[in-house]
Amino acid sequence: MTGSLFYFLTFLTLFAALGVVFSKNPVYSVLFLILTFFSLSGHYILLNAQFVAAVNIIVYAGAIMVLFLFVIMFLNLNMDTEQAQKKSVLTKVAGAISGGLLLVIMIAVLKDAEVGSYDPENFDSQIGLVENLGHLLFTKYLLPFELASVLFLVAMVGAVMLGKKETQQRHF
Amino acid sequence: MNSIILLTSFGILNLFIGFSKSKKIIMPLVLLFLAIVFVVNLIGWNDTQTYFERMLTIDNFAIAFTGVVVLTTILVLPFAQRYVDQQDESLAEYFSLLLFSLVGAIMMVAYENLLMLFVGIEILSISMYVLAGSDKKNLKSNEAGLKYFLMGSFATGILLFGIVLIYGATGTFYISEISSAATAQSNNELTSPLLGMGLLFTLIGISFKVSVAPFHFWTPDVYEGTPTFFMAFMSTVVKAAGFAGFYKLMSVSFAGAQDIWFPTLIAMTVVTLAIGNIGAVAQNSFKRMMAYSSISHAGYLMIALLSFNDRSENAILFYSLAYSVSTVAALGILKIVADQRDDVSYNAFNGLGRTNPLLAAVMAISMCSLGGIPLTGGFFGKLFIFSAALEQDLLWLIILAILMAAVGFYYYFRVIIAMYMREPSGERVQVSALASFALIFMTVLTFVLGIAPGLLSNIL
Repeated sequence: MTGSLFYFLTFLTLFAALGVVFSKNPVYSVLFLILTFFSLSGHYILLNAQFVAAVNIIVYAGAIMVLFLFVIMFLNLNMDTEQAQKKSVLTKVAGAISGGLLLVIMIAVLKDAEVGSYDPENFDSQIGLVENLGHLLFTKYLLPFELASVLFLVAMVGAVMLGKKETQQRHF
Repeated sequence: MNSIILLTSFGILNLFIGFSKSKKIIMPLVLLFLAIVFVVNLIGWNDTQTYFERMLTIDNFAIAFTGVVVLTTILVLPFAQRYVDQQDESLAEYFSLLLFSLVGAIMMVAYENLLMLFVGIEILSISMYVLAGSDKKNLKSNEAGLKYFLMGSFATGILLFGIVLIYGATGTFYISEISSAATAQSNNELTSPLLGMGLLFTLIGISFKVSVAPFHFWTPDVYEGTPTFFMAFMSTVVKAAGFAGFYKLMSVSFAGAQDIWFPTLIAMTVVTLAIGNIGAVAQNSFKRMMAYSSISHAGYLMIALLSFNDRSENAILFYSLAYSVSTVAALGILKIVADQRDDVSYNAFNGLGRTNPLLAAVMAISMCSLGGIPLTGGFFGKLFIFSAALEQDLLWLIILAILMAAVGFYYYFRVIIAMYMREPSGERVQVSALASFALIFMTVLTFVLGIAPGLLSNIL
């Protein structure tokens, strides 16, 4: 049951991810991206990481996707503007070759990779719940967790600085 | 750790000081903050401390590189005088971002856990994206900010994927624990091919951040568009911290797996040296030339990384310091001159030797140091790097590097020729007292490093 669910979710993820890339209409791309996030959340639940799954839906499928849609509608990207800018054949060939090379390396590596197994006797089914995660976050990973606040502060200061309206007193 | 706490709180404090009407107080205060951090940082010398479940280790390596980046920032700051004179509204934000980005730099040199490296790189990079685009009315600055942001976030994604693959192969983020898995990998005892893939992706991510070819393509465009003041910070602090973090990762984690990454890195070094130096020859803009020059210096630092013995740590430290001091001096002068002559090409320096003898002399000395002329810090920086490489039997690489250094003389000396052999292209350039003092200090430091390199060459 779990195995077939995994393959179904994987198929859905890959299909939706390909849909993001190949859709001509950017709004379809975003909708496919939402589908990708939902099926990824399904994977998290299969991995017993319920909290991450919920956060993934709330933050990515919710907040960030709304932002994406908003920007796309704001920019008014429709099919005409997308087709107007033609990419040269050379760029496409170069992209296909380098992407293909990466694919070959990845396959070569992953075909030999050992898939780890879990021990059903000692498996802690509570491991992905908020309590365990919070405990880990506030003990072992306290320092990176706290210093991530500096990261967000930098992003906030930067966004406000770049977005602030300039008053004209600069050229008096 | 103390320096991280101090820098964060000073950064926040500085944001509040930015509300005050007069902007004059900000720069002296930030200089004072940085001086305090510099001293507090040095207090911990020879006293290795580990913090928070071995997330950070403040040892002599971390303290020395923290000293280099903080000192560089102190030396960069006086060239912001024009922002102060113009009463720039975002002055406090600029300085706070610099202070915060130093937190990231310290994390990159003191990390013990790959998570810390990642968060540190991100703090440093995001501040740089913002500062690259900080000249909002200049189209080139906007382009630089956007380009750096898009490419940088892509590189971050690759770096993160690499770290995750390493975690998948070894089950740990601690660099000391990764090393045993990497050694086993090298001896083919335990084959988890994920580790090699993770190592490759991590290398790509970090190489992008320190602009090592073939991941250097963003450097000239971004550096050209970035305001010169921030370019002086970007091309020195990011590079010094990046290489310290890079070296720490390779020496602690992947020393045992040398045969996996050695061919890759050696090819990257050769390409970096060639592209950096030959690319710089073709430039007409001094700013673009300095961007290519920073790529070529990344190539020399890569040689120290490759030689990988007890000398290379000191060589990287000495080279970063000598390179940072000369680059800050050169870009500081460019900032002063370009602000008044409105030109960033070589022509801006025409006749500077007659109108401003001090600026021209400092510029000439820093160019000599970047080129590696004896009696300057740059010469001994290169010497230490080459002697470290010689121990590793990399003679052919040294010969290539020396040839490339000879190419470097061509573009560094073009500035000197413009300054002393051309007719002046403008009036005498006004220099603030603080900037002159910083320039003289940097010249003295370059000579001290060039005459008595023993002061710093064996401290690690």
